[in-house]
Amino acid sequence: MTASAGATGPDGPRDAADATDPGDPTVDGAAPLPDDERELLDAFERLAPAGSLQWGFDDAMRRLSPSGDQGTWVEPWRGLPDDLWERGRGAKAAERMLGDVVAVLAQELTEYSQRIVDDVRRTVPIEGAVFDAIRYLAARVDRLEAAADPLGMRPADLALPVADATEWSTALTAWLAGADHPVVVGELGAAGVVGAVADSGADVDGVDPLGRLVWALLEEAPGRPGQVRATVGDVTEHLDRLPPACRSAVVLSGCPDRAALAGKVQLVTSAHRVLVPGGTLVLLVHDQEAWDAALEPTVRDLLAGRPFHPDTWALVLGHLGLTDPVVRRAERGSVHAVVARSAR
Amino acid sequence: MTGRASGRAPGIHLFVPMLHRRDAVGEHTRSLRDRLVAAGVPCTVYTELPDPDTVDETRPYTGYADDAVLGDVLVYQVATRSDMTRWLADRPEPVVLNYHSLTPAPFFARWNNPIARMQEAAVRDLAELAPRCVLGIGVSEFDVAELRAAGCPDTRRIPVANVPLPPVEPDPAVRATLIARKAQGGPWWLSVGRLAPNKCHQEAIAALFVARATSAPDAHLTIVGGPTEPHYAAALRRYAADLGLTGAVEFTTRLTPGGLAARYATADVLVMLSEHEGFGVPLVEAMSHGLPVVAHDAGAVAETVGAAGVLLHDKGPRAVAGAVASLLADPARRAELVAAGRARLAALGLEHAGSDLVTALQAVASGTQGAGGPSGRGTPVRPGGHSSH
Repeated sequence: MTASAGATGPDGPRDAADATDPGDPTVDGAAPLPDDERELLDAFERLAPAGSLQWGFDDAMRRLSPSGDQGTWVEPWRGLPDDLWERGRGAKAAERMLGDVVAVLAQELTEYSQRIVDDVRRTVPIEGAVFDAIRYLAARVDRLEAAADPLGMRPADLALPVADATEWSTALTAWLAGADHPVVVGELGAAGVVGAVADSGADVDGVDPLGRLVWALLEEAPGRPGQVRATVGDVTEHLDRLPPACRSAVVLSGCPDRAALAGKVQLVTSAHRVLVPGGTLVLLVHDQEAWDAALEPTVRDLLAGRPFHPDTWALVLGHLGLTDPVVRRAERGSVHAVVARSAR
Repeated sequence: MTGRASGRAPGIHLFVPMLHRRDAVGEHTRSLRDRLVAAGVPCTVYTELPDPDTVDETRPYTGYADDAVLGDVLVYQVATRSDMTRWLADRPEPVVLNYHSLTPAPFFARWNNPIARMQEAAVRDLAELAPRCVLGIGVSEFDVAELRAAGCPDTRRIPVANVPLPPVEPDPAVRATLIARKAQGGPWWLSVGRLAPNKCHQEAIAALFVARATSAPDAHLTIVGGPTEPHYAAALRRYAADLGLTGAVEFTTRLTPGGLAARYATADVLVMLSEHEGFGVPLVEAMSHGLPVVAHDAGAVAETVGAAGVLLHDKGPRAVAGAVASLLADPARRAELVAAGRARLAALGLEHAGSDLVTALQAVASGTQGAGGPSGRGTPVRPGGHSSH
């Protein structure tokens, strides 16, 4: 028996006539998936390591190990040492850790390269692979600190205070008026943000690591049809996948609060990169005292980051090259707004 | 090249890269060995690499040359790349391919570069060995077609020989635990298969997500399978967490036969969305336990399950969730599928598969495989020497 697409979805039972004809040559007999279903499946595909720095690095190192068919033998790359982070953390002082980890990596790479030189004294394509490996290594060093997570726990999974940004709805709509490119809304948990952006008339490019929030937004998207799109994933990674200067504004909440220093800087740097000249960056950040009061002790222990004071954000944004950073302090709630623009 | 052991009868010897327990190919190989020995045929299992659990049952393939006897037949269990492939291609004895399907490399490419490369090499090696074999045995017509495409001149379909029929009884204690758990909410979906990208477990998770958001807020999913590809396995867990399904999706592996049987016996539906299946043992297990099936129509799935399952061409999350919901809401339809499953089991002839396989191999050994052999096709074989093609 073949029952194609005779599904009951959120919109109710579909008519049997919607069922795909098994003889239909399109996509193995299946019609293209709706955007929300496609996004649901794409969110998984983005978890594949292919294309990541780790993947590229390991692949380059493997290319240093030609098969026996080529008459050459090189000791295979054994991967990064298991105790890399322990060795890196040996210095205790946080500011020295990154340097120590880099030193360990550099030592590993140097020793391995020397073994290759000793084993294979001939000119082969290995040279190119070595350069690739070093390039990948160099590219990933600045993310090692942010990526380190010995417990395998993501901050997004912790029970954190939920921002209520309704105080800023009207202001947001005004700040974003006239946007002629989509607006990234980084994390979707803050009440009032997506609706305010949609009210400005801009297309919404939403992203959140929590699938349930993405799904809820896709189910009840405000604004005109097609105005709101949403993606499951990390905000920084999402921004990094976008081409430069393609968004009129980026509105961030949640992620700026919980990220550690390196993660905060990476986040706003990535946001800055996608802004068109004169584009707007809006940070909706928790008040530090309110944040501390709301945190459970376990979360406080496990969370690497803490909200910056809004004045600190203004300083950081200016340091990173954004212009006219302005702090708007909360009057009714516990969420402050920091607004800055990319240079024209 | 060949040291001829004197005074030993010719045998039918099995070659497998590694012999694992609780592994489909491993259990098939062990079952076939036992059947051959029971039939009075000398049989040794040769491996490329030893598995500590089975090392007492195997010998290294490099030692076969010293054991070889004129009239031996070598049966190669094909499931992955192995140095044995090219070695077998150079052996003078007749070689039979017992094919268990090679998962195409593209499924692994984004997850595990070395495995993808290994699978590509396996396909190349198979194309080199297949034309030199006297017989290729596939567990399904799907697999037989792949053998023919690889250049196998003579092929037969004989289904898997190690599916226990009647099925293993569920472990009573495990069953009781699962029933108590199910009383707290359901339905429970079951998905069985290695955590490998071609199995597409993520699509079952996505469908569960939709089902819980729509028709079945208490739906749960048990995924039974070992982490064949660690990145993929880790991504499945993270995906479930990202979708807020940590408590709704259970990952389990290394079950006892009774524990697995208890899963089949207490689940409400088997959901199998694999993209590449050479046979689909879980389909047979589900049918034998009276569990209805919702599956993606890919590979040998339709051939195995026949009319006893809901086959999907569209396996989008809504389509899968909808098909499961429709099935579970229709007891008559469910009973119809369960009855069809039992009939399908009988039609598959699994109870004869083991003896059919032994008979086919004995035919090769006696030189009858070929024009007068079981398949009525193929090429004459000179025992102890190369086939004449």
